[in-house]
Amino acid sequence: MNPLLQLKNVRKDIGKKTIIHDLSLEVFPGEVFGFLGPNGAGKTTTIRMIVGLMGITSGDVLINGISIQKDFEKAIQHVGAIVENPEMYKFLTGYQNLLHYARMTKGVTKERIDEVVKLVGLEKRIHDKVKTYSLGMRQRLGLAQALLHRPSLLILDEPTNGLDPAGIREIRDYLRKLAKEEGLGIIVSSHLLSEMEMMCDRFAIIQHGRLVGIESVQELSKQAQKVLLTVKPVEQALTVIKNIYPHMNITSAKQGIEVSIDYEEIPSLNAALVSENIKVYGIQVLTKSLEERFLEMTGGNEIA
Amino acid sequence: MPSILSLIQNENMKIYRRIGTWFMIALLALSTLAGALITKATHKEPKNWKAEVASEIKEMEAQLSEEKVPKMYKNHLEQQLKINEYRLEHNIKPVASNTFWGYLVSSADIIALITLFTIIVAAGSVANEFSWGTIKLLLIRSASRTKILLSKYIAALLFALCMLLLLFVFSSVVGAIVFGIENIREPYLAYQNGTVVEKSMLLHVMQVYALNCVDLVMMTTFAFMISAVFRNHSLAVGLATFALFAGPQITTLLAMKFDWAKYLLFANTDLTQYIDGTPLVEGMTMPFSMMMLLIYFVIFNALTWFIFRKRDIAA
Ligand SMILES: Nc1ncnc2c1ncn2[C@@H]1O[C@H](COP(=O)(O)OP(=O)(O)OP(=O)(O)O)[C@@H](O)[C@H]1O
Ligand SMILES: [Mg+2]
Repeated sequence: MNPLLQLKNVRKDIGKKTIIHDLSLEVFPGEVFGFLGPNGAGKTTTIRMIVGLMGITSGDVLINGISIQKDFEKAIQHVGAIVENPEMYKFLTGYQNLLHYARMTKGVTKERIDEVVKLVGLEKRIHDKVKTYSLGMRQRLGLAQALLHRPSLLILDEPTNGLDPAGIREIRDYLRKLAKEEGLGIIVSSHLLSEMEMMCDRFAIIQHGRLVGIESVQELSKQAQKVLLTVKPVEQALTVIKNIYPHMNITSAKQGIEVSIDYEEIPSLNAALVSENIKVYGIQVLTKSLEERFLEMTGGNEIA
Repeated sequence: MPSILSLIQNENMKIYRRIGTWFMIALLALSTLAGALITKATHKEPKNWKAEVASEIKEMEAQLSEEKVPKMYKNHLEQQLKINEYRLEHNIKPVASNTFWGYLVSSADIIALITLFTIIVAAGSVANEFSWGTIKLLLIRSASRTKILLSKYIAALLFALCMLLLLFVFSSVVGAIVFGIENIREPYLAYQNGTVVEKSMLLHVMQVYALNCVDLVMMTTFAFMISAVFRNHSLAVGLATFALFAGPQITTLLAMKFDWAKYLLFANTDLTQYIDGTPLVEGMTMPFSMMMLLIYFVIFNALTWFIFRKRDIAA
């Protein structure tokens, strides 16, 4: 499959400072790609370069194989985006705002505008002036303008900012549907890690303008992890485990025994316990949350 | 890729959906009305216009007989003299400010107000997008920055044109009501190829309007440039307005001492100096001024375009 979006050694210098260091990544059709990083990591800057708002110091961004630097008008055609807050013309109504963006792309009909309005759930307020909108409503209008021209690449910088839980859920389900059913590639940047975990297929974590890692959700759940064993009798089980894995970090908690063990070794541990006549009531894999992983990779709460 | 027409349509929507724009139009209407009422109240009808014209002629003849009259000024005097003689001969009263045509000609002064409004609109159309943050969503469509900028510039000039038409309509209506239209057939006397000819007054009014628009176009372009460079509405409006009102005075002062003042923008914006006046600096001609205006125009626009096209949008 050809990537929808390719970043090739993208670098951004502002003044003497390098804000993005040779960033390379690819986003494919049909996936929701999370873009994570602490405050000031360079997420917004990267997005600005992807959509041509900022010049690229070196490297290139290809959308559908077309360079944003060489053929902006053609490359940007299939991109819908929200960059930071979705600022709209406040003295216009929501509908007039959409009309404004509809006129900027060939082939966006009135029916399409109505369709998108319905989709983001703004039917009731669309003919009100935007200055009377709440943050969440503006966020929805922002999403509407990004979807208007049926883009194949959707770039959303913190789209859930300001949305209520129901709204977040709605948007999340909708984005997943767009990716799965219509094959859009979607990039989402956010700070809400648990949100991202539910929404995304893959993540890039960046820090200080550098790529720290790219992972998929499946990989995340397979990494070195803790396993919670509910067994009886506990004392006997501990001896058995210590015999097999003398160096293992074992903690006995109220719910059972917590061991750090590779995913692949769980069955053999189970077999050993059973052969010693220990009753195994449960084996629970405690996957590392994205949050833990994020903090591990970025070294805590450090701002660039 | 959107057509330039739909982009202009967008800009128009952003201009006319704002309450401020309608406030400007109301102010324009009010100014024409106030202008007419003040003229009516303060105008003093001469007892005998023929005697006044005759005494004017005497004065001009006296001036012409003096030794060191500059050549340009001398030409101007001679023309006025001929026109005045023609008036007496054919019994054509000079156009008084309290007549329909007289008022229409003087309504051209209100173009300064339109210039101010257009400066505000033009500067706002670029700078406001930055301060509102809407520039981001505007520039991530398949329309080049050049096209967007052009649509904004055209929309600002269309706004000016619209205001000029409104001014003409307002003053015609107000003029007709306040001063009546008895003298509507009055001709305009012009001096052409050595003879005095009678011309259409309407054409004359249009010419006066057109000449007054030089400032309008140049200052709008200037404000547009400042707002693209500094992305600041107040700064652009302030600078352009200051230049508009103080520029001519400063230039006149400089022109008394220095010849190079003729290369300044404001030495060239008043084209009436070649029609019924004397040039600011001796040796200046209409083609020279046209050339200078063109040069400034191109520089302003090129700078605007160059900066807007390259700039990183960090708003
Ligand atoms: N115009 C600019 N001039 C200088 N430095 C800038 C400029 N814009 C951004 N930066 C710097 O670039 C870095 C990345 O900023 P960016 O806005 O991309 O971060 P971010 O990952 O989006 O952060 P957040 O999570 O807070 O939105 C920051 O250190 C910021 O200070
Ligand atoms: Mg950001």
